[in-house]
Amino acid sequence: MAPGPRTMDRETLRALAQAQGLALSDADLDGLLPLVRAGRALIDELATAPLDEVEPTVLYHMR
Amino acid sequence: MADLVWASMGELARLVATKAVSPVEIVNAHLDRIAALDGTLKAYITVMTDSARSAARNAEARVMAREDLGPLHGVPVGLKDLYCTKGVKTTGGSRILGDWVPTEDATVVTRLAAAGAITLGKLNMHEFAYGPEGLNVHYGTAWNPWDWAAHRICGGSSSGSGAAVAAGLCPGALGSDTGGSIRIPSALCGLTGLKPTYGRVSRAGVLPLAWSLDHVGPMCRSAVDCALMLGAMAGHDPRDPSTSALPVPDYRAALTGEVKGLRIGLLRRFFLETAGPPQRLAVEQAVKTLEGLGASVRDVSLEQMKYAAGVAAAVISVESYAYHEAWLKTRGPEYGPDVRERLLAGAFVSGADYLKGQRARRLIRDEVDQVLGDVDVLIAPTVPIAATEVGVSEVEVDGRRAPVRPSLIRYTRPFNASGHPAASVPCGFTADGLPIGIQVVGRSFDEATVLRVADAYQRVTDWHTRRPPLGA
Repeated sequence: MAPGPRTMDRETLRALAQAQGLALSDADLDGLLPLVRAGRALIDELATAPLDEVEPTVLYHMR
Repeated sequence: MADLVWASMGELARLVATKAVSPVEIVNAHLDRIAALDGTLKAYITVMTDSARSAARNAEARVMAREDLGPLHGVPVGLKDLYCTKGVKTTGGSRILGDWVPTEDATVVTRLAAAGAITLGKLNMHEFAYGPEGLNVHYGTAWNPWDWAAHRICGGSSSGSGAAVAAGLCPGALGSDTGGSIRIPSALCGLTGLKPTYGRVSRAGVLPLAWSLDHVGPMCRSAVDCALMLGAMAGHDPRDPSTSALPVPDYRAALTGEVKGLRIGLLRRFFLETAGPPQRLAVEQAVKTLEGLGASVRDVSLEQMKYAAGVAAAVISVESYAYHEAWLKTRGPEYGPDVRERLLAGAFVSGADYLKGQRARRLIRDEVDQVLGDVDVLIAPTVPIAATEVGVSEVEVDGRRAPVRPSLIRYTRPFNASGHPAASVPCGFTADGLPIGIQVVGRSFDEATVLRVADAYQRVTDWHTRRPPLGA
């Protein structure tokens, strides 16, 4: 099955917040929703990046 | 007294070492100016009047006793208020830490003191460093000294550092840079600011925004002073495992004024071509100046820059949420509304997305390394727009409407993702008299070349010597 587009609405956001112990009001959720959607849209652009052979950047030095 | 507040850090150190001026005079001159101007500018959150005067008297005694003096002996500095200072409030620009008094200094604070620097106070900033405008609802926003009456932003998050150094309220300051927070206020306030290579300067004792993207660095009025400050701070720190064990070169000695034969890569695509006309013109003129000094210039491009915004969205949001999670759950209303929303947004980014961002970072870093294999430095504008008035969310750039916030960080954040050293250097003014900055990016751990280019440019231009219209 092909993956569908990632969606996010106020109730999904509320459920995700509650699952993490965040008690957010309707006004909080309404304010957050555009920010979360915008962030997801930017992250979704990484889907075109050629990452198959790329490991995460590790910055801590071993010594 | 006016001359002392506009003297460079190097000149102040020389005046102290030769007993021409006492550190007490220097500190008092700056404290007087802070008292006169900072009620308006709001650059400082905490002014350390008593401890600065006491340190100045001690510094004077050491001069008179002919003791060995550090390279910054008797020279005042300001610290962005996210550097831990033993016994002195460190607020992070927040109400949450409004009364927090650390029991230890940050490593860089200890190192600057060991070099002889005297801390004048703690500088204003965007709350918890999470904003490129430099706004602050808790302590008041620091106004840009170049047009404070119009309430223009300094840029952030190191807004107080930008305002203080530009206004002569300290000759040099520490900023921090997660997406451009040293370089943006440096550009908008007419300063020279350096984000060193990730791992060059310790982050121990510095309140984090995003551990893997945070950089510590100086904001001064010249490349020479940045070299002095960096030399005093850089090097491995056992308290910060991400710091490199590579030796620290003599940055001051690297400033030869010579750029003949230097190969410059000019970043047009994604950078120069999207900047406003005054910024584009000023950067092109600066490049011609460097060509005139013997550097060669060719166009280069960084195609992986298209992923920089996605990397930032994934990495900063998750790391900052991880640091703030407990406070968000228990003290949420104490955050400013803009910062609380940004932090909460990180709760909805998955672990897989975070690692996608960390993986894409490698594409950016590898490409910057590759391009810097063929040229010695990259050059771009620092910011595509000039300082806006507070509350302005969109500006016109070359006939297009551009949102202010993403515009401010567009050219700087790629080099947080890559970790390469990058400086902003004054290179002109808009028709309204607002500063413009050029960004110089170097190879990893080659801050010396970045500073050499900046210094060579400053030897033949006077943009960095101009002063804002503050009446003194």
